[in-house]
Amino acid sequence: MIAPRRYGRILAVLVAALVASFLLAVAVGTVWISPWTSIRVIAWKLGITGRPAGVPVSTEVILLQLRLPRVVLAAVVGAALAASGAVFQGLFRNPLADPAIIGVSSGAALGAIAVIVFAGSGALAAFGVPLAAFGGAILTAFLVYRLARIGPTVHVATLLLAGIAVAAVISSAMSLVMSFSGEQVRDIYAWLLGGLVGQGWGAIGAVVPLVALGLAAAALTAHDLNLLSLGEERAAQLGVEVTRLKRRTIAVGALLAACAVSVAGVIGFVGLMTPHLLRLVVGADHRRLLPAVLLAGPTLLILSDLVARTVLSPQELPVGIVTALLGGPFFLYLLRREGRGAGARA
Amino acid sequence: MRPTGSRPHRFIVLALAVLMAGCARGAGTAPRASEAPATAGVSFPVTITDDDGVPVTLDAPPQRIVTFAPSATEIVFALGLGERLVGVSGAFDDYPAAAKGIDEIGGAGDFGVDPNIEKVVSLRPDLFLTISGGEQWKKRLRDLGVPVFTTDSTDVADVFHDIETVGLLTGTVDAAEAVVSRMRGEAADVEGRVVGDPAVTCFYEVYYPPLTTVGPDTFIGDLLARAGCRSVSARARSDYPQWSVEDLVRQDPQVYLVSSESGASPRAVASRPGFDAVAAIAAGRVVPIDADLVSRPGPRVVDGLRLLARALHPEAFG
Repeated sequence: MIAPRRYGRILAVLVAALVASFLLAVAVGTVWISPWTSIRVIAWKLGITGRPAGVPVSTEVILLQLRLPRVVLAAVVGAALAASGAVFQGLFRNPLADPAIIGVSSGAALGAIAVIVFAGSGALAAFGVPLAAFGGAILTAFLVYRLARIGPTVHVATLLLAGIAVAAVISSAMSLVMSFSGEQVRDIYAWLLGGLVGQGWGAIGAVVPLVALGLAAAALTAHDLNLLSLGEERAAQLGVEVTRLKRRTIAVGALLAACAVSVAGVIGFVGLMTPHLLRLVVGADHRRLLPAVLLAGPTLLILSDLVARTVLSPQELPVGIVTALLGGPFFLYLLRREGRGAGARA
Repeated sequence: MRPTGSRPHRFIVLALAVLMAGCARGAGTAPRASEAPATAGVSFPVTITDDDGVPVTLDAPPQRIVTFAPSATEIVFALGLGERLVGVSGAFDDYPAAAKGIDEIGGAGDFGVDPNIEKVVSLRPDLFLTISGGEQWKKRLRDLGVPVFTTDSTDVADVFHDIETVGLLTGTVDAAEAVVSRMRGEAADVEGRVVGDPAVTCFYEVYYPPLTTVGPDTFIGDLLARAGCRSVSARARSDYPQWSVEDLVRQDPQVYLVSSESGASPRAVASRPGFDAVAAIAAGRVVPIDADLVSRPGPRVVDGLRLLARALHPEAFG
């Protein structure tokens, strides 16, 4: 357990990193838009000042309709994925657990893909895809939970095994749906690759309340997750209703993962990396871990997307490739450092 | 998914070519030269090295042709050999209409994009026409005695050459000359109409989201240049890049072309975030393009060229 002052300093650094990455990501792109220009354009749009002189219409469109919503969406999706990962890792007491491990991301993707293939890409799909992603995630999570439950308790080992088995079945179902798909195969690949292109303020407005709901519920489970980390039996002796807690945690994690998948497809590594890295820094107390994760997840995805859209500009990369490339080596570095630290203490 | 025209791995194919000597013989029915539409100037056996670098030898004009690419199907029909076509790749072989009833050989492999080897062999082809890619199944077919001939087109001039080559291979040189000379005339007419006009800036959408377009070295990139378009994505470094919408807004093209693969209507394009700020979209110059005409390196490519040129320079076509 680290000292509160040190924790405070870590949070301050994370806040500064988030603000800096946000400002950087809004400024950098095919055209440079200085923070001062951004502030003047936003102030004008909010009716506070007059139209700023010397700002081309294209810059205004790029800022307000393309870049700003994309950065905000990256922040929201990053927060949802990171919090989902933190909740699942706490539940499984396994630092490598992830929405993908219990099949939730696959379930969400299968729901979305089924709608894409069988309902086309018309108005029905616009509403149907996010809804089906959410339905797929929740259904998968509870199917896994049911399968894994033996008597009144759910053991972590059986839960993980059931998750892997269900994910395998879902993956075959996805291949089957894709073999029926014909021309929509491209939509499906785009979905599976993940990305933050094409979502405007409307999509953000729709997903933010659900993410906020999920985050609030995650915060409420933090203390119980701490007790659970002592072991199920010990947690029960301390008055935790273990089975109910698990059920609630699964629903919260699935909700957060589905929110992310429904607007950005399947983006890996953020949910796995962020909580794991921060646990190395702030410790395993979920009341401290969750706020840190909520600051670091958005930062990670904002910066990954910044790289994805600038490194080959004006070409872009799928953001999932960048999260994997950025996250992997950093993760290995920290793992190695931690191992050496533990060795020195022993 | 249709078989794609990825770049050939020539080094692999060249290595395989050593193993291939004589494989072209074996399968097939006896030649019946009287049925060949025209064999002037060609004496069989004929040996031609294909675009994978593999020499292919035919002892007689082929009587049982299988195609594995919609463009190859269209070329075979254009040469008057439709009657001899016994197998096509699949549902994408939809032109001309007569191609639709023919046995389909596609749909095998891990991604459902390879030919079904058993089906191909059961059709006893004496010529298998296809495009680049799929070195593994091509080797298997050659080992089974099927003469596989690959064409690879990256521009319109390649298509002319491909049609002439298939003409040589099938003993239909006269028909091939007629087709190519008609196509050359069409292309010259279109290019003559647009040559005086200043180039128009355009953007070609393959897919959205993410916004995907074509690079300059693609078949479509060549057609766009010929049709008098200065493409926003002409500086792309890959063939089908994901493109920044910000850059689209900044470059502000005059014409926005939407592939039928994307399938987006002009209204749908205008309703996307940021797109209504693009001059072409604000002015209603969003033109749907039949992807089959501009992406199949076959006889209809000049129709695709005309379609693009008309979209870019409507005044030049009255």
